[in-house]
Amino acid sequence: MEREVIQSVGFRNRVENGTVVGFQFKLRLPYYRGVYLSQLRPGTLIVDGERLEKENLIWCIRGEEYSFEEMQVDWQTHWSPTETAIIKVPKPGGLAQGLHELTYGFCFTSSYMPPALQESLDPDKESFVFLPEFGRHVNTRRLLIV
Amino acid sequence: MYHTHQKGPKRGVALYSYSAEFGLTKTLEDCFEDICDMGAHGIEILANTHIENYPYPTDAWVEQWFRLCDKYAIVPVEYGNWIDSHVLGGRELTSQEAAEMLKRDIRLAHRLGFSVMRTKMPVINERLEPVENWREIIRAALPLAEKLDIKMCPEIHTPSNLKGKLVTDFVDFIRETGTRHFGLNIDFSVFRTEFGQNEYRDPQFQPNAPEDLIPLLPYIYCCHAKFIHMSDDFRETTIPYPAIIKILQEHNWDGYLLSEYEGADKYDPGYEVGQTLRRQHIMLKNLLGE
Repeated sequence: MEREVIQSVGFRNRVENGTVVGFQFKLRLPYYRGVYLSQLRPGTLIVDGERLEKENLIWCIRGEEYSFEEMQVDWQTHWSPTETAIIKVPKPGGLAQGLHELTYGFCFTSSYMPPALQESLDPDKESFVFLPEFGRHVNTRRLLIV
Repeated sequence: MYHTHQKGPKRGVALYSYSAEFGLTKTLEDCFEDICDMGAHGIEILANTHIENYPYPTDAWVEQWFRLCDKYAIVPVEYGNWIDSHVLGGRELTSQEAAEMLKRDIRLAHRLGFSVMRTKMPVINERLEPVENWREIIRAALPLAEKLDIKMCPEIHTPSNLKGKLVTDFVDFIRETGTRHFGLNIDFSVFRTEFGQNEYRDPQFQPNAPEDLIPLLPYIYCCHAKFIHMSDDFRETTIPYPAIIKILQEHNWDGYLLSEYEGADKYDPGYEVGQTLRRQHIMLKNLLGE
């Protein structure tokens, strides 16, 4: 895995039944321990300035797909900091050949942090204080589609 | 499996120290070999970090775990787990659900050969007080912990004080239940006396004297050998290590001191926490008279 949260490997268009239905990219968890899916707070994806809402993105952990709604209540499926998650983005036709700028926000709650701090977590904005072991919420990377 | 009859404080490493490197530039085996280089024999893992496919590792992974313990003469000492009862945003887990989560970790800790768990409590406020139902959750898990001989130990960490309400409540619970399967992990951050000009000091924090350990020793099943600044001549400049080690030795405390490096600089590019740990282990080795 690369140190960047958005990985360069795994960014490509997705083809189903001969049609490009969208694209995908991979993330690592920038936290020192794994989380259950219900701890995750997925945010907005911005691709070349276009906003894609969190409710439309599919997270894929160890080969299983999870919708935004499913993740909210899933406290059994665990995502480890040593494995990537695939984010699948529906977008008919996919992304054009060439360079794209991806900006994606997500964060997660922790039971050992004061609940008041947890309620104010915003996946699309950084926390008031930056703690390296929690990583940054919003990450950006410019990557090529072939 | 490595085994020692040596009583007293012994050296180990908490793999949390490697949090900026694990999975990126270091594998689990690299961490084992690093500990072996230091001549230490104890290990603490974080369940949710270091166990592949947690909470359901494969038998093959568990076999590999024991192979690593054998190869590098490492004792599984402490299994770090969390009672994540705020895991759902909308509601709290019930005591029963939280206890089931805890029991799953007790079984897994036992399967991996651990004897102590660092059981992190969920908190309810800025003062980091634990959830009100912590006694119910622990009580529900105690029979299994007794059966598998696992000691669940919340970590006592700055800004908590060894004489404060948190520790008093835990000790009262131990006395009421008479259990030997719930105890304490003392993090040496509670003894920190020196802070640099730009370093954060929690306004609630009052350092403990090393002697404050003495009445708690019967309940302490392992310690986090927290360290902040190691000097070039291998002294810890913020925590009175010589006095702490002397007390542990003079009172015949038996257990592992697990080095835990928490400094945010470990996330700086190029930082090598293994070298920082080695500095501390030179000090520990000398203080312990190894």
